[in-house]
Amino acid sequence: MELTVNLKSRLDEIKRKFPFAFSSVLPAIHAVQEEFGYIPLEIEPAVARYLAVPQERIREVTTFYFMFNNRSVGKYHIYLCSNVSCWLRNYESILAYLEKKLNISAGETTPDGRFTISLVECLGMCEQAPVMQINGISYGDLTPEKIDRILDNLD
Amino acid sequence: MEKVTITLNGQQIETTTDKTVLQTALDNGIHIPHYCYHPGLSIAGNCRMCLVEIEGIPKLQISCNTFCRDGMVVHSTNDRVRKAVRQVLEFLLINHPLDCPVCDQAGECWLQIYYMTVGQYDSRFTGNKVIKHKKATPIGKWVMLDQERCITCSRCVRFTREISKTNEMVIFNRGDHCEINTYPGRELENRYSANIMDICPVGALTCRDFRFKCRVWYLESADSICPSCARGCNIVIHHNPHRPHKRNGARVMRLKPRYNPEVNKWWLCDDGRYNYRFIDQGRLRHCSVLSPTGREQLYLDEGLRRLAELLRQTPPRQTLLLLSAHSSNEEAFAARRLFDQSLGCLCKLPDEGVFTGDQDDFLIREDKHPNTNGVLRIFGWQTSDLLPMADLLDFVAQKNIKVLLVNRHELSADILGQLDQLECRLVYLGTNVTPAAEAAYLAVPLATFAEKEGTFTNCDGRVQKFSPAFLALGDAAPEWEIYSRLAQHLGLEQAFPSAAEVFEQLRTGNPFFQKLEFHEIGAFGELGAP
Repeated sequence: MELTVNLKSRLDEIKRKFPFAFSSVLPAIHAVQEEFGYIPLEIEPAVARYLAVPQERIREVTTFYFMFNNRSVGKYHIYLCSNVSCWLRNYESILAYLEKKLNISAGETTPDGRFTISLVECLGMCEQAPVMQINGISYGDLTPEKIDRILDNLD
Repeated sequence: MEKVTITLNGQQIETTTDKTVLQTALDNGIHIPHYCYHPGLSIAGNCRMCLVEIEGIPKLQISCNTFCRDGMVVHSTNDRVRKAVRQVLEFLLINHPLDCPVCDQAGECWLQIYYMTVGQYDSRFTGNKVIKHKKATPIGKWVMLDQERCITCSRCVRFTREISKTNEMVIFNRGDHCEINTYPGRELENRYSANIMDICPVGALTCRDFRFKCRVWYLESADSICPSCARGCNIVIHHNPHRPHKRNGARVMRLKPRYNPEVNKWWLCDDGRYNYRFIDQGRLRHCSVLSPTGREQLYLDEGLRRLAELLRQTPPRQTLLLLSAHSSNEEAFAARRLFDQSLGCLCKLPDEGVFTGDQDDFLIREDKHPNTNGVLRIFGWQTSDLLPMADLLDFVAQKNIKVLLVNRHELSADILGQLDQLECRLVYLGTNVTPAAEAAYLAVPLATFAEKEGTFTNCDGRVQKFSPAFLALGDAAPEWEIYSRLAQHLGLEQAFPSAAEVFEQLRTGNPFFQKLEFHEIGAFGELGAP
């Protein structure tokens, strides 16, 4: 798998910012995820060559951090908090509603490739529990009606 | 760096500010439990076993990454520390399988050792253990990985990053999912790979060659020098004298590196480590002579009597001894005394295996002999005096050589045939049965490096001593003993009674060895005169 032109220019930009090659691994992986939606195993050697770090170091970082996806995800990636505050505010009913509405269970992607549900730890908005985050935008005080509204407003 | 004094367990210890508390303790014979710390690798500080109490600091500190300061008061054995270390061990062992009876590391496993010294708790864990991937995955030619035994100390990861610089080993994932492995589809492929199973403190990385050959508590050890290249890495021969019925009578079980700060530090290359089978397999055990009915076995003295007869019948300038750089300094000296000085035979060191071009900037040298340097210095030669193996036949023809004594060298079928045509009698002295030994008029068995005492001079001029692990097989003997007996048959007043006494004779006449004293050459060897 080869690097796209767009990704190459992103990596060039990142490389310029850091004094050591290894420092650029984390932002570089972010750029790869933005490009492909996940980190394909096949792209890692190319990225490693481009950054002049061993491919092992790329894999090490991608598997360490939860928010790098190792396989392809939906267009909308739903993070649903399952930590203490959201648990006290019954995130389980929200999860059940989401799973029923999208007809998938947590960790899966809808067949049309639009939605993926992932259970995550605290999203830092405990005052609005239960909380979810879709592609970086957070939504709090979730109810089934609110979820309908949010998901229907996505294209 | 400045000199300071710290108090460790009530004992005043002088140290320096560039040393950590753990290093200082280890240097002074105080053992603080540790897994991730290795003196040859960078400090990771992740196993938390080396916790100590330092007065004035409220929390316990890891001694591997705390540098000494003047007046520091450290406790490594008080109740608070012992309790904390016991709990760290409890966590490290929480998912560890109880498979010691079938684990090859048992007996030299630091989990077992620390469980007995600082652990000894009853397990409080009632949940199910997290079980990692399947057992015993080969990750390279020599190394077997059992992920579930790993405590992720990261020594292997740091070794491949810092020493072999090949980066194969990585810790993937995080928390209790984390596991060491190689990159998907990549093998552990470097010439120092087996070192990672030496430094693995537990049974996660074991040796595919040694697995299940022998329980480590049956092993005996002898300090030796690796004979596989001119570096002369310090090794330990682990052998099993008590159970010869196992492993078909093989004695050597494995070779392990031995610490020498001046030569190999803690490491050994795979080529050297696994080059030990010739010690037990295919050995030349007895003298034999070529007779019309085939090879006839002789007693050593009868063989040497015939050799003496042959030497007496042949003019010395028509006798050529091909020396071997596998001979020790003492053996090369005895050869020079007897053949060069007393008999006046021609002596040559062939260049076979000297300029192989196979070397790196770490340990591996292109010269695949342990003692080329020593033999050259004993005969007062330069590398330009080596006899190119390709010119051997020309040399034999030109000088009209009638007796060729070959010490250990392998001769091709072509050369053997040509020697026959030149009516040159071949006498083979060697450790193993080779085509040359089988074609030779007379074959004389020699002891391997593991069966004799002596010294090698490595590429840097360091004279290093090795000791015998066990007795030689059959009639095999060190060269100086063979030459001593041969001298008797020749009616010469020459005796080489022991390696120490031959070394004594050697050093009196050779400025390079003059300052050295055989019995004073220590574990790290000593440099000869510049």
